Amino acid sequence: MLMMSIGQFDVKPAKAGFVAKCSEALRRGLSRPPSSSATHPTLSTNHNLEENPVKIVVCMKETPSTTVEKSFGPDMRIERRKEDAVINPFDEYTIEEGLRQQEKHAGSEVIALCMGPATATDNIRRALAMGADRGVLVTDPALAGSDAIGTARVLAAALKQIGFDLALFGSAAADAYGGVVPSAVAEFLGMPLLSFAGKLDIDGSTARIERQAEVGYQVAEASMPALVSVVKSINEPRYPSMKGIMQAKKKPIDTLTLANLGLDADTVGAAGAREEALSAEKVTAQRKGEIYMGNEGAADRIVAFLVEQKVL
Amino acid sequence: MADTTIEAASSPATTQTDDHNQQHQQRAHRHAPLPPALDLYGIDNLLSDEERLVRDTVRDFVRERVLPIIGEHFEAGTFPKALIPEVAQLGLLGMHIQGYGCAGMSAVAYGLACQELEYGDSGLRSFVSVQGSLAMFPISAFGSEEQKQRWLPRMAKGEVIGCFGLTEPDHGSDPSGMETRARRDGDSYILNGTKMWITNGGIADLAVVWAKAEDGIRGFLVERGTPGFTTSDVHHKLSLRASITSELHFEDCRIPAENMLPNVRGLRGPLSCLDEARYGIAWGANGAARACYEAALDYAKSRTQFDRPIGGFQLTQQKLVNMATELVKAQLLALQLGRLKDQGMAHPVQVSLAKRNNVREALHTAREARSVLGANGVTLEYPISRHMNNLESVYTYEGTDDIHTLIVGQAITGLNAFS
Repeated sequence: MLMMSIGQFDVKPAKAGFVAKCSEALRRGLSRPPSSSATHPTLSTNHNLEENPVKIVVCMKETPSTTVEKSFGPDMRIERRKEDAVINPFDEYTIEEGLRQQEKHAGSEVIALCMGPATATDNIRRALAMGADRGVLVTDPALAGSDAIGTARVLAAALKQIGFDLALFGSAAADAYGGVVPSAVAEFLGMPLLSFAGKLDIDGSTARIERQAEVGYQVAEASMPALVSVVKSINEPRYPSMKGIMQAKKKPIDTLTLANLGLDADTVGAAGAREEALSAEKVTAQRKGEIYMGNEGAADRIVAFLVEQKVL
Repeated sequence: MADTTIEAASSPATTQTDDHNQQHQQRAHRHAPLPPALDLYGIDNLLSDEERLVRDTVRDFVRERVLPIIGEHFEAGTFPKALIPEVAQLGLLGMHIQGYGCAGMSAVAYGLACQELEYGDSGLRSFVSVQGSLAMFPISAFGSEEQKQRWLPRMAKGEVIGCFGLTEPDHGSDPSGMETRARRDGDSYILNGTKMWITNGGIADLAVVWAKAEDGIRGFLVERGTPGFTTSDVHHKLSLRASITSELHFEDCRIPAENMLPNVRGLRGPLSCLDEARYGIAWGANGAARACYEAALDYAKSRTQFDRPIGGFQLTQQKLVNMATELVKAQLLALQLGRLKDQGMAHPVQVSLAKRNNVREALHTAREARSVLGANGVTLEYPISRHMNNLESVYTYEGTDDIHTLIVGQAITGLNAFS
């Protein structure tokens, strides 16, 4: 179990029907990063009803494969090995959803954004092989040890620089399971977050989601640009195809540093972290069974249990 | 054992000996970390990022889509047809062919895909090998432009399934003795004869058939439904049960002359196809071997007899070490063969050597792995007996172990021992 203190951070979840007011400059995105040599046409965000192209940024994280045993360093950080690094399984749904929206809205662009080590280009390449158009890697030695808020600060700055109509997130990452980043990014950007989407529709300049609740589902919508975090029921991620892998070789991956984003090193990474992992322990599975004896009305109690579980 | 040593060494040192051990371990660790049991020779590092992406993609696909269903198909003796659109979507059909809707990947990438598919089942790898290397390859290498455009894109999409007819009931290792004939008749050829042991035959929309014409052995494209062309499946197989094996019958089967592959004549045509497919087998066999080795290793570490894991007994360790060693050797053989092939430097003799060695060793590994699992090894709950039975076919098809021995033997002595 990770024990952490988040400090004072007020996360405001988006309200259903919340409509954000954002400057047009933010929607279009600012200038291309100076480090980039490749040129891409800046997408118009003019939402023509027929074409309706959407600029989609899918945020992805590298996490250790869920099949390898995790180990922790003395600072209680997960020890990460390049060969074990995979796309956070939750983010595969994010990428897939970006691609599906692109297929529905001709002319849309899908950009894979990742904060991570320089070697994370391998996994960005995998997102490109799935079909994303280009990648952006934010990497800087000072980013090591970032907590959720530091990560959100960096992603917010990168998203601002890239410009977007829709920024998609997984609902959590399979390493720390914090689940805080999407709402923190929304807070930094002052934009609406449609969280835990099980379904996403874009209609003109409005994004609408269905969020599965215990009984039925909630519908929430926001005008774009907006952030959306998705849950696993939203789609079934595709595998990269062999052709996609070949095409991915030619797709650009731009690299941004903290300097490119205009962020101070002491606001991110270990230096800026307000979370501290105090200890890490293995989860031990505990299965509690109940045994009913025949002379204690076992049959009735089992029936009552099944009714309670809505099995009967 | 190594794990235990490292754990002990990294606990606080209290004695001089521990301290010494710790220093020793740290030094050893700095120079060479303990390699993982499934990549003892760091072969991963010999692959490019792109090659690893191909391998991981197919590996994920096999783990998620193939392994959950393959045992049932093997038991029922059915080919998992539902997987055809999925392997097509992945772009695995004809993935090493340039253009015509194919990905145009390297030989090494194709080999890695075969390896991962056969980790699932030799039958599935056979399906992909036959479609790509035996049906699409001859069209791509020897076909007319019209034939390529007509067939290859649809074959890459899995909309048209192909098969390859060379072997006959009475002619296996000596294809030059084939009895199937193609007689010219105006603008047509009339085919007569029988082809045997044809993978995908029963579901094929298009058969690439080799027959003797007046000017020598020629390849013909025969579409399903052509009058005089029928197929019948071979039943009661105890090997490659999740794969379709058929007999092709041609009885006065009239096909248009433009269905002949124009750009090859003689045994070179079919043999060059076999060379492609054998190359894939050299890689594929390593997948089957790895599946058996992994299952045996897992089992040996968790199965307790005489109050300890059987992996701690010397005889079991010897088996596991044999498997691990042969797997590493076979993987290096396949990889170097692939590198040569990508440089255009691979010779058929090298393909024979790798096919022979890797299938033979995969079969030994399967048998040894089976013995580690004891009685559990014979059930379908584990992949081992399924692979073991499959490999008996792989040992024989696409050039038997004996024939490959003679090919390599002739190459190194200069003396022909075939006849």
